[in-house]
Amino acid sequence: MCLLATAHAARPRYGGMLTIETQAAIQSLDPMSVAADAPERALRARVTPLTFESLVAVDVDGGLRPMLALTWDRDSRAVRWRFRLRPAVKLHDGSTLSASAVAAAVAAQERAWHVGSTSDAVVIETDRPHPDLPWELADTRFAIAVRTATGALQGSGGFRVDKIEARRLVLRAFDDHWAGRPFVDSVQIEEDRSLTDQLSSVELGRADLVAVRPTDVRRVAQRGLRTAVSRPLDVLAIVFEPHRSGPIDEPVRLTIASSIDRAALASVLLQRQAEPALAVLPPWLSGYGAVFATYSPAPLAPAAIAALPIERRSFILRVEAADAVANEIGARVAVNAREAGVTITVQAPAGLAPRPDARLVRVKLEATTPDRALAGALMGFGPRVVALAGGLPTPGAGVPLDLVLGKELALLERQVIIPLVHVREVYALGERVESWNGPVVLGSGAWNLSNVWIRNEPAMKTARP
Amino acid sequence: MSLRARLLLSVSTSVAVTVILVTWTVSTSARRAFAALDTQRTAALVAQFRREFAAEGDRVAAQVERIAASDAAIRMAADILRSHGDYGVYVNEATAVAPAYGVELLDFVAPDGTIVSSAQWPARFGYRHAWISRMAASRLQRGADLRAIELPHGYELGLVAIRSVGAGERSLFIVGGRRLDQQFLRTLVLSPGMRVMLYRNVEPELSKHQLIDASGEVRNAAPLEPLIARIRQSGREAAEEVQWPDGPETIDGIPLTGSDGAPLGVLLVASSGRELAALVRRIRWSGFGFALVGIVFGVVVSYVVASRVTRPVERLAVAARSVAGGDWEVRIDDVAATAEIRELTRAFQSMTGQLVEQRERLLQAERVAAWRELARRLAHELKNPLFPLRLTIDNLRRARALPAREFDEVFDESLSTLGTGLVNLNTVISRFSDFSRMPPPHFARTSVNDLVEERLQLFRAQLQAPGRPLITLVTDLDGSLGTVEADPDQLGRAVQNLLLNAIDAMPAGGELAVRTRGAADTVRIIVADTGTGLTDEERRRLFTPYYTTKQHGTGLGLAIVQSVVADHRGRIWVESEAGRGTTFHVELPRERRS
Repeated sequence: MCLLATAHAARPRYGGMLTIETQAAIQSLDPMSVAADAPERALRARVTPLTFESLVAVDVDGGLRPMLALTWDRDSRAVRWRFRLRPAVKLHDGSTLSASAVAAAVAAQERAWHVGSTSDAVVIETDRPHPDLPWELADTRFAIAVRTATGALQGSGGFRVDKIEARRLVLRAFDDHWAGRPFVDSVQIEEDRSLTDQLSSVELGRADLVAVRPTDVRRVAQRGLRTAVSRPLDVLAIVFEPHRSGPIDEPVRLTIASSIDRAALASVLLQRQAEPALAVLPPWLSGYGAVFATYSPAPLAPAAIAALPIERRSFILRVEAADAVANEIGARVAVNAREAGVTITVQAPAGLAPRPDARLVRVKLEATTPDRALAGALMGFGPRVVALAGGLPTPGAGVPLDLVLGKELALLERQVIIPLVHVREVYALGERVESWNGPVVLGSGAWNLSNVWIRNEPAMKTARP
Repeated sequence: MSLRARLLLSVSTSVAVTVILVTWTVSTSARRAFAALDTQRTAALVAQFRREFAAEGDRVAAQVERIAASDAAIRMAADILRSHGDYGVYVNEATAVAPAYGVELLDFVAPDGTIVSSAQWPARFGYRHAWISRMAASRLQRGADLRAIELPHGYELGLVAIRSVGAGERSLFIVGGRRLDQQFLRTLVLSPGMRVMLYRNVEPELSKHQLIDASGEVRNAAPLEPLIARIRQSGREAAEEVQWPDGPETIDGIPLTGSDGAPLGVLLVASSGRELAALVRRIRWSGFGFALVGIVFGVVVSYVVASRVTRPVERLAVAARSVAGGDWEVRIDDVAATAEIRELTRAFQSMTGQLVEQRERLLQAERVAAWRELARRLAHELKNPLFPLRLTIDNLRRARALPAREFDEVFDESLSTLGTGLVNLNTVISRFSDFSRMPPPHFARTSVNDLVEERLQLFRAQLQAPGRPLITLVTDLDGSLGTVEADPDQLGRAVQNLLLNAIDAMPAGGELAVRTRGAADTVRIIVADTGTGLTDEERRRLFTPYYTTKQHGTGLGLAIVQSVVADHRGRIWVESEAGRGTTFHVELPRERRS
């Protein structure tokens, strides 16, 4: 049996439908449209590349890999970039992708750029140096969607859109994909499913790929199912409200920050599916994690804390009522702070509630360059946090890494944001899900569905060697 | 105080005192009965609490025993003891296991006291229960103990049992139990009027938030705090009566101790005195009601009884007043009374009968005396003029022997004498005739002063006649006297008689004083002389007709005065002192009286 299983695992086959369940729902796959909220934006970041490919993409190791562009080069000032396109790339309607169509798609997304094309290349010229332009083009915002005369959008990805229904999206394998046809015939995405329902579905075999909470990893393992994880892509942090972000509360904020047992959060509550966070960006993304490893702020002594007025050492921490993990983390933070003499009341309101002093925020990071990731994270924390940074320059795309580090250090010193943990995206795989070459979920969080094949399905087609 | 008031007072007092005594006796008995019942109920409830507490302790110990014997606990113990501190995968184990075994409190604790998983405070993992690692092995197999349980929002009281899984020093501890809270208190069966409260002595200072009853935190805990503080300090049972706005409540406090003997809680068994107070109130109001009914009954009975006794007496009193007023003919008939009152009535009737009889006899005697007096006066008055007539007739008879001329002289002289005598006889007869024919008065507005002055004027010349003993006239007439309604002729005649009587009373001279005085409804005429005065006999018979002390008086002057005054509805009285004179007072009403 074991040998048979191994043989099955080693020999992928074509066919079958992969069922994915998601918590969010997608309103539109058009790269030009704007997502309604963060969950939809995150889901679109996973689904869009399956249909609409970009010039480059982030690979498993966090680097860039060619997609529609085979090679790229730039001038010495990084203001003129040329991307040589992969030849004979077919769109889903059977037409060939042209350089001019790619240039039009890119230009539609960023009108400040001067985008031109040659017979086999796209040339982008910017007003200022843009050394990380390929990283920016890796964003799903720059996925190439060609609008035909009928108004339909055509992509070049491994899957084409077959059906868009309420809370359901069906993708069909694209036979003429430049990298070869995906193994599965179709991918059905069931949307608007709670995490609990998703877990039940994968346990009952009704779904093949579902997102699970870190706290459910053990249960998944006990059911004999496998998990696929990304690199830590979510940052959980305490963000203080403006009325508690002033210098007067800074010693107490420092005390809270130093009291938190982040290792326990990561290893126990998040079941090792997270890493303690000392900065907003995870070390694998920023590269400067070691700078923070030795950072240890001096908390107030217990006697000094006890001497403070009760209102100064009391905080209301608001957490999302629907986020069970956040609730547990909030409770644990309250326990840690209590030992340090600070009272934190965790508030998970379903309706109106007193004004909180701080919020427990979960922000999804983009697997891109640190500057973009930090800018995106700060946007996720909210505009007030940017304002609380108090005159510090907000790092935009393309700023040097030292500026990004400086911003992080400034935030850390003021303790307006207390990073807690960086959490991986965790997916449970159904029993019949196999992967031919590479993981199902990449480190960047992208779904690597072209490599997925379905086991135990009737062998309709023979796998290519 | 009247007989009726006395009867009313005594009957009402008797009823009220009786009711008060009965009310007090019943109230006291009720209090004693309630106190005894309260003691029994409190003892029963405390016993019930101890039974429930012990039973719940056994139940908790059994539940924890079952958890310790479960495959999950044994597997977890083996894994934890092997992993040496990697407890992360079991962080939610207690939360999952606790409901399955029906325990509210459940901690899985590593050999070093580190909390691996906590059902009641999941976020508490990683912290240590230092006391567990120090606990003697013998105590692990005991039943459940009372223990202060730390929770996110403070301490609570729990009934906790501890078991270990593993061998020797390397054991996984299972600490399980239930809260001693309002849910537990709800399991106690309470008698009506009783309630039970629990103070959880888990904070250094007395905290009102730790006092709960079956419905949660006790709102008004302040009156109970002194009792709780006393028991916290002494560790002994105590009782106190607490006064609430709706009535008293007896509170018995029993300390609840932990395994080390420290008081961890105070059980407060409250027995309401509201029912007793309500009963006493009902008894009191019933007493008031009965007293009121009794008093009303007493009033009615007193009235009836008193009426039977006092009504005849009152009729007797009215009759006696009538008799005193001169109505001797009054009769009391149809008397419904007791024998004594009937005897008294008969005696009264007899008395009035005798009085009437005696009055008749007296009147008869007075009438005879008056006739005798009248006969005597008539005889006297007639005898005086008749005597000269008889002498004249005798002289005339003897004069027949005298010569004719002398006879004629005698005859003429005798005729003259006879004529004079007959005139005198006629005068006497006229006087008597006048008295008998006193006409009724003809009233008119009359000035008393003018009338008095007019009558005085008739006597001034006589008083001032030469050779007559001097009588000095003194007048003092009240100028503001005004008029009265009177018959001026009769009243003038009365005044004239008084003046004449006064002048006659002073044959040797003296002073005649005439005064008038006015009052609101009356006027008074006072005539005073300085004569010899009156004896008692004279004063008593002064107004008797035909009584006189004078040589030539008819005895009718003052009788006429009295008759006139009586016809004017006035009154007359006399003051006299022997040797100092006499004063007559005549008082007349200003208006006619009917």
